This record gives sequence, structure tokens and C-alpha cells, in this order.
Amino acid sequence: MAAYPAWTAVYRDNVDRIYRVLYAKVGNRPDAEDLTAEVFVAALRPLRVSASVGEVRAYLFTAARTVLAGYWRAKLGLEVTTLDDESIESVFDDAPSPSRAEGRTAAILDALPDNYRRILELRFLDSCTVREAAAAMGISTANAKVLQHRALRRAAQVEQEVSR
Amino acid sequence: MTGRALRRYVEDLLHGRRPRRFAATGDDVAPLRTAITLRAGQPGGGDAPRAEFVDALQQRLAAELADPPRPPLRTAEWGLGRRGVLVGAAAVAAASAAGGVLVERTLLTDDTAGHDPDTLTPTSGGWQTVVASEQLPEGGVRAFDLGAVVGFVARTDGVVAAVSGTCTHQGCRLQLNAPSRQLDCPCHTTVFALDGELVAHQLPVPPGPLPRIATREVDGAVQVYSV
Repeated sequence: MAAYPAWTAVYRDNVDRIYRVLYAKVGNRPDAEDLTAEVFVAALRPLRVSASVGEVRAYLFTAARTVLAGYWRAKLGLEVTTLDDESIESVFDDAPSPSRAEGRTAAILDALPDNYRRILELRFLDSCTVREAAAAMGISTANAKVLQHRALRRAAQVEQEVSR
Repeated sequence: MTGRALRRYVEDLLHGRRPRRFAATGDDVAPLRTAITLRAGQPGGGDAPRAEFVDALQQRLAAELADPPRPPLRTAEWGLGRRGVLVGAAAVAAASAAGGVLVERTLLTDDTAGHDPDTLTPTSGGWQTVVASEQLPEGGVRAFDLGAVVGFVARTDGVVAAVSGTCTHQGCRLQLNAPSRQLDCPCHTTVFALDGELVAHQLPVPPGPLPRIATREVDGAVQVYSV
């Protein structure tokens, strides 16, 4: 198996995938950037120079899994997301499909009652404020907040059913 | 009140801010996970890294790799708390490793003089069946536990070979990472290849390779030489 010519090649070839998979697991850019940095800081130095591309990726993947677990331990005391169900192939696929997360989102939203789906679309996909979402739906801001909260809990049930 | 903390966390996600930590309960996990899924599933969302970030991190890595004695920087807000733990654990590990090396050397010179030191050579061993040949197809890996010895046996290019399943650092049980065909140590993120060679580690001193275990295939059974 081919090896990387230098650590910069390891970095350039993998930083995008590591960032994407971590972003999908934490949902925000500041944390995804910190975790990506943590993975490479921890993983690059001990890597054997002659390690193959496959070995390097397996190691980066393992490092990302460890870093993510530590993140949730410190952040909430509970593991909200893990990389345990992800395969290396899905992370390092040569043609990463941005549609995977989108497909999952669509599946969840499609299974919801209309008003639940609408509030989540407005807030999560269209990035509306609560006020804007309330106006778009013709309800009060207070009602929009309650609706969003209930919709998210219902969506969580749907996601668990989808995952099974 | 966790309901409020949960809502604040979700609002932070929606605004692209770094969410603040709180003591979550089990009920919070599923809604949080879904909020992350929905946010990450935003069409054309922010799941590609910023070019400035990628460049800045490369410069930081270059600086760290050029300057080995410096401890790794940890910018994450939650990183500070962990650093104390990591430093403490590393000191304990280093002290134990020094003791471990001495013991190992003594045992090796007494018992294995004249043998390949990298292969397990019990004083009074025998061939033990660990798996049927048909259950170990090409590319397959199986864990085995003989009581005294635990290990992994793999078939690569038609040849069966086994290695110890115990990390050479502090003796933690290795876990098979099936997708990558590697052995992971849960204690210090050390990784070994199936031939026992060290792939990666985060320890001050690289741990040695895993001892190999003599392996043969007889009458449709894969056997290892052990006690």
C-alpha cells in the first residue's frame, strides 16, 4: 500500500474529511474546528513515517473517536454522538456525499406532522430567528418556542426509529 | 432546570455559536442528537472547513512538529480541564513503564535464551485449537482466549498468524478494530497491526511490538502454541 510523502500530505489529504465527520457529530463550527485541531495535534507526531494511507486513516479515525468521546464527557457528561457506528470507508470515501446528512434530515422531517416539520425547517434549515419563524407561521413567538421544543422531542423519537 | 439549558444549547447551535457546557440528563441526549443531525443536514451547510482554518492549523502543526519539547496546545475550552488529567496519567504511565521494562528483561533472559524473543515460547506448551479453518476466511480475524494467553489470529494472503492480545505498554486488553484490521489499546490509544508491529502511539516511549504466537493449521483447525 502507498504511503504519504510527508506529514503535510497526510494533513491536506485528510483534514477535510476529519472536519466534516466531526462537524456532523457536534453541529457547530467552533467546536468542530477545535476537535479537528486536537485530532491532528495528537495524531501526527506519533505516526510512523512509513505507515500506509490505510493505516494513517485508521489511526486518524481512532483519534477522532477518542477526541469526540472526551468532548462529550467534558461538555455534557453524556455521550450524545459517537463515531462507533461509522465505518472508515464512509468517512474517507473518495467522493464524500454531502447528501448523507441531508437525506437523514429529510427522512426525519418527512415523518413529522406539518406544523412540527415547518418550525424545524424554518429554524434549522432556513436559519430563521424564532421571531421570523413565528411570523412565517402566523403564531406568537412564545408559541413558536413551545412548538419548536415539542417538535424537536418528537423528531428525536423519529430519529431513534429511523436508526433502528 | 435542564429544559432551559437544553434550549440554550439548541439556540447556540442554531446561531453557529460554541454551545456552553451543562450537566445533561439522559432525557436531553436524544433531542440534542437530533438538533445536531438537523443542523448538520442543512443543505449546503457549514460542513466544509474554512480555508483560513485549514491553513492556520497547518502552520500550527508545522510549528509543533519542528519543536518537539513543547506540550501540545489545546485551545478548546474543555481542553484545559483535561490537560491536568493527561499529564498526571502520563507521569504514572512513565513510572510504571520503567518498572515494567526491568521485569520483562529479567524474564526474557531467564526463560527464552536461545529462542526468538518476539515469539511466545512457553516452557511446557502444546498446540491448542482456537478456531476452525472454515471460520477464518481470507482477511478474517478472530480473537481467542486460552485463559493464560489471549490473542488474535488472522489469515492474510492465505497464511494464518497469531499475536498476543495484550498491550506491551501496561497490559490492557487490545480490541479488534475490524474495519481497519488493526488492534486498538483502549488505555492509551496505541494501535498495533495484525502482525504485532506498532502502528501509532501517544506515549513518551514507543511500546514494543506484540509477541507473535506460533500458529499452524491442521485437519481443518487453526492452532496456536500455548500453555
